Amino acid sequence: MKRYVLGRIIRSVISIMVVTCAVIVLVFMGVPRDRIFRQDQASLQKLASKPDELTNYRYNKWEDIGYLDFQPLSEMCTNSSDDYAACMVPGSDEFNRVVEQYEADGYTITEYETSDLVFASRDYSPLELVWNFLTSFIEIDHPNVIQDADNPDLERRIYIGSDFNGIPAVKCTGCEHEYLIYFDSSFPFIHQNWIQLNFGESYPTFQRRDTLEVISSGQGELVNAPTTFPNGTTGNSTLNLHTCTYKPTASMDRMDLNKFDTNYANCMSNYSSPSMINLSYIFGIAALVLAYLIALPAGIIMAQKKGKWQDKLGIIYVNIMISVPSLAFIFFMKLIGNSFGLPDKFPQLGFQDIRSYILPVIILALLSTASLMIWVRRYMVDQSNADYVKFARAKGLSQSEIFNRHILKNAIIPIVNGIPGQIILCISGSVITESVFAIPGMGKMLPDAIKANNNTMIVTLTFIFTALSIFSLLAGDILLTFVDPRIQLSSKGETR
Amino acid sequence: MEEREVILSAKDVEVKFRVRDRILTAIRGISLDIYKGETIAIVGESGSGKSVFTKTFTGMLEVNGDITNGTIMFEGKDLTKLKKDKDWEGIRGKRISTVFQDPMTSLNPVRTIGYQISEVIVKHQKKSKAEAKQMAIELMKQVGIVNAENRYDDYPFQYSGGMRQRIVIAIALACRPDILICDEPTTALDVTIQAQILKLIKDLQKEYGFTTVYITHDLGVVANVADRVAVMYAGQIVEIGTAEEVFYKPAHPYTWALLSSLPQLGVKGEDLYAITGTPPSLYDKVIGDAFAPRNPYAMKIDFEEEPPMFKITDTHFAKTWLLDPRAPKAEPPKAIRNLHERLLEITDERGDYHG
Repeated sequence: MKRYVLGRIIRSVISIMVVTCAVIVLVFMGVPRDRIFRQDQASLQKLASKPDELTNYRYNKWEDIGYLDFQPLSEMCTNSSDDYAACMVPGSDEFNRVVEQYEADGYTITEYETSDLVFASRDYSPLELVWNFLTSFIEIDHPNVIQDADNPDLERRIYIGSDFNGIPAVKCTGCEHEYLIYFDSSFPFIHQNWIQLNFGESYPTFQRRDTLEVISSGQGELVNAPTTFPNGTTGNSTLNLHTCTYKPTASMDRMDLNKFDTNYANCMSNYSSPSMINLSYIFGIAALVLAYLIALPAGIIMAQKKGKWQDKLGIIYVNIMISVPSLAFIFFMKLIGNSFGLPDKFPQLGFQDIRSYILPVIILALLSTASLMIWVRRYMVDQSNADYVKFARAKGLSQSEIFNRHILKNAIIPIVNGIPGQIILCISGSVITESVFAIPGMGKMLPDAIKANNNTMIVTLTFIFTALSIFSLLAGDILLTFVDPRIQLSSKGETR
Repeated sequence: MEEREVILSAKDVEVKFRVRDRILTAIRGISLDIYKGETIAIVGESGSGKSVFTKTFTGMLEVNGDITNGTIMFEGKDLTKLKKDKDWEGIRGKRISTVFQDPMTSLNPVRTIGYQISEVIVKHQKKSKAEAKQMAIELMKQVGIVNAENRYDDYPFQYSGGMRQRIVIAIALACRPDILICDEPTTALDVTIQAQILKLIKDLQKEYGFTTVYITHDLGVVANVADRVAVMYAGQIVEIGTAEEVFYKPAHPYTWALLSSLPQLGVKGEDLYAITGTPPSLYDKVIGDAFAPRNPYAMKIDFEEEPPMFKITDTHFAKTWLLDPRAPKAEPPKAIRNLHERLLEITDERGDYHG
């Protein structure tokens, strides 16, 4: 089984990367690149009177996001000329030589509108886009990452220490992060900074932050809490010391020196609201549990009372739920909820108030009950007609004994297989619900990112959703082996 | 033949099914005494009602079926009066057990073999789980499972078809029933395994002394195991007698036809015999002898009046007008006239076919 699972994981990772790369090519080649500035009109307006700076700004952004390689003249001359001063004079021999060299390398040389300087740019081909993404995708932290000329004596090692709460943690000096593995009170309780996925910076929304950071760090207001700093001082602070990264000695200020005895002073803050990912998960899991709590018993009752009024009622419900468009259902439920005093939008009462969650969770759960119910019913009915049920009856078992000991265990198998998939449905299904209720979650992020032409965010979310669905399939298959003895996950030639 | 104790006595049993607003009479008045310790085989083609008839012994009729007439007396109780599952407690699976046709699907695929055996013991004999396990392993050994202790926790998919049928038999016999109904127990098995299973049931019967009711359309099985044979056609028993009587002195034209169509009696180069036509629709009232339209010996009266059960010997009865003194003499077809010799030719000394 180990070999099979390993093979499946490798194949899953390959599929995820294929999907992600395909989306990268589609987004970067298919969408006109000027559109990324639509949501950034403020910056463009500021530069409107200075066309050269505007050009620089636009090309710099494109380069940051990964569209192209942009080199202003100064960079061209630093890279390709020994005589920087001569190179910087347009029309000189050295200048012409460098320009020719760049043109030969496939660059387009463009003159600025006002000055007579030029810059070179070269669009990446689809293959280069994918290559650039893949080569910078995984960042593994190690003790030789930090190169700080002002701190030549920096110790370089990974060790097991304890954090500011006295809880053991894998720490590092010389790495980008101070804590490589640590525990805290937030789900999933064990965290790591060792391996980081890099999707690039978010633009034009959530500017100057990595996309993963945008969806995984807290939201809302900063939270002040009593903190003991590494050098022993205490005080109220918003900093989350687990997230600290290396700060170059040159930029360490007095406040940093007051709190930190090492250079790991670049910390993120604690926020009052959960991150987008966490918020989506809270809704997803709560809705999933509720959906199963409703649909499992309902489907079982429908199967047991097949043809009776309970069954007919259930079928009417399922029919309505399947035929009514989910958007219409969401608004209908919202109307009912509002009449009970539940908030219209999530931010009205905020994340601390339980009432903010009730309506979206109920809607998300009900949306997935219909198909669940009908499948549960169908599996139960299928199983009750099986021969082993007839034989169990001939054995003299009562109806309820047959049901609990024999039918249920067989009917539950396909249901168990689908549970991980349902988790994914909850999160991706919440795309609509989150938008309607203005919930700042990951589901709402996808349409928002598409609207804003936030390419890196689209790629990030694609990667996350794809990874979730593919690994949920694997998780479903692994779960199967626990409930169905006939299923063994093994590759050819592997002994059980 | 000496007087024997009757263990189950069916009188005038009639079973009707409601099928989409129509009434189908599957069993049209069957009376049958089953004696303690005997092996009786009920034979007949598909749809003749043999399974339905025995299902009334355990209250296993489908929900749309009802016993509309008659009594089935077992240990002083009328089984036709039992309606709810609770009424059947202590009889079904305990005193009267059933072995079904397909061992591949008779066992729950996701429960261990051991669980499925000990479950009945716990249920009917009120034993503890540990005791039940010991008894189950003992049973598994008795039905010929090698290394029973280690195979107790195996699942059905880890057993072969023959071994599964042994387990099904072990489950059926777990509570030492008085009657074992074998509903085509060997149909789904290959011939070598068939013989083993039949021998197993025979041996166990000797040991425990239960009564066996075979339901089958395989006359080979019948010849092999049965003391008495009841031939069913269109929801009635048309001939009943000891195995010798039914095989060697058959009296009903349907039995003749059935025996003639034994593939083992086929002569190389000639077509196998097949009964022409189809059984009558049981939705309509059957007038006269139900077999008459397919019967080459049919007389006028066969189409007009239902024949009574004629007594041939103390143990041999047949329901055909041919036995009426007024009927012309009809000889059985040539193919089955010297059946005894022909059968001896094609079977070995143990009674198994080698042809």
